[in-house]
Amino acid sequence: MDNSREKIIDMPQWLLQTENYIPQADKDTFVNKSILSLLKVIARIKTQDSGKQAKLLVNVHLKVAFTFMLIILLSLTRSFLFVIIINVYLIVILSFMEAENIIKILKISIGMAFFTFVVMLPAVLWGNSYSCIMITTKIFASITAVGILSHTTKWSLITSTLKRFFIPDIFILVLDIAIKYIVMLGDFTLNMLYSLKLRSVGKNKSKYTSLSGIAGTMFLKSKEMAEDMYYAMECRGFTGEYHIYSKLKFKIADYIYILINVGIFLIFLYFGRK
Amino acid sequence: MIELKDVCYSYSNVNALNNINLNIEKGEAVALMGPNGSGKSTLLKLINGIISPDSGIYEFNQEEITHQKLQNNKFAKLLHQKIGFVFQNSDTQLFCTNVYDEIAFGPRQMGLNEIEVDKRVKDCLELLNIQDFKDRTPYHLSGGEKRKVAIACVLSLNPEVLVLDEPMNGLDPKTQRWLVEFLVKLNKAGKTLITSTHNLELVQEISSRSILFDETHTIVADMPTEKLLEDIDLLIKVNLVDQYYHTHKVYGKL
Repeated sequence: MDNSREKIIDMPQWLLQTENYIPQADKDTFVNKSILSLLKVIARIKTQDSGKQAKLLVNVHLKVAFTFMLIILLSLTRSFLFVIIINVYLIVILSFMEAENIIKILKISIGMAFFTFVVMLPAVLWGNSYSCIMITTKIFASITAVGILSHTTKWSLITSTLKRFFIPDIFILVLDIAIKYIVMLGDFTLNMLYSLKLRSVGKNKSKYTSLSGIAGTMFLKSKEMAEDMYYAMECRGFTGEYHIYSKLKFKIADYIYILINVGIFLIFLYFGRK
Repeated sequence: MIELKDVCYSYSNVNALNNINLNIEKGEAVALMGPNGSGKSTLLKLINGIISPDSGIYEFNQEEITHQKLQNNKFAKLLHQKIGFVFQNSDTQLFCTNVYDEIAFGPRQMGLNEIEVDKRVKDCLELLNIQDFKDRTPYHLSGGEKRKVAIACVLSLNPEVLVLDEPMNGLDPKTQRWLVEFLVKLNKAGKTLITSTHNLELVQEISSRSILFDETHTIVADMPTEKLLEDIDLLIKVNLVDQYYHTHKVYGKL
């Protein structure tokens, strides 16, 4: 190291001594739990975007379109048999996915179905058990269908597909930017929480003041990022319109998928309207 | 003081540290170098106890640091007091309403009385030459000022080891020069310095020893900084410098 550059900076005495410090115990549960939940969310989005998620080898446009169709048919149907057929179909698709993804999807589907069941419980007590079972199974199927779509498709592809379905550009823009900024601001918040954890070396008597400080900084940061993005968009000539440059190309798997979904539609016409 | 034996770490099956063996003595000034994504920041997080190794052993002052031990509140807090971390982005480190409170945050938690806290804060303000900002909101300071406040926050805890992640990033040449001289002084005062950097012009001044990572997240060289900087073939091999540019010019004279 260069000794010639030595400048006189007087170090205070306390900085030259080794700190003889015994920390007091303190509760850090909130910070630790926040760190864990943020890590989970960011890891989930990053996995979605890295393309490492399970792939259902069909065209993303078809997947989005037929998932919407499935949800609409499920909501229209009055046939319990049709709902059961769809549930079986979805479980068959699920069985081709990785165990980790199956657990994730089923956790949400079963959770939501159970919640619906609890909400519908008074109907059962009044003797209308059919509606309760029907709505619960419909919810299970709808959530599973969306879960399969989100676990087998990149979110960026889903948002770009929306353009084909004449969804307004502003809606696609908001969705696109939201996903991107959840990761960026999530990373930033994560580092702030790490910093709070590292600097909390003793008993923090004003934990909520520190947390509100983090929230305030986050607000300022997001505002700054939004302004930067707006200027960057202006500089790059973005007019708020999304364009699609790729053409629709179907493979054999896509035609099979179309056939299956046409079959589902026919089943709906046969059973579903009864 | 810091010893890592066969340490491995990965993020969701993506390797970040691969079989790291490292020994850093008290009072050393060590630089971590390597291309982007080679594992430098992950190693700094591991040293600070933010993450713990998937396999291998990490020892600080001859005591093994494990995930279980870090769950112990008191143990983790003591480790965080002994090893101060200056983040790459100073914005993430500052969350108090003014600079004074920011620097006093650590000492107050350590149970020091307000007179001692005030002394520490004033010393830090003076040391980093930021007395004029003491009542200002940290978020609205310039990049260099924020970096100084972030260092002051860590210094007020009086850590034995100071870990800095890319401390020169985003600073103007004058502030970079000031920071180099300040780090040299801290090292002379007995602080152990671990700095991750890409700055080949300044690394020689802030470290006597350099550890070089490559893209396989492994340490490929651990030698005196001066010697490492002479080995241009090695720096090119790990993608840290550009082959054409650095075989025609010698850095330090750019």
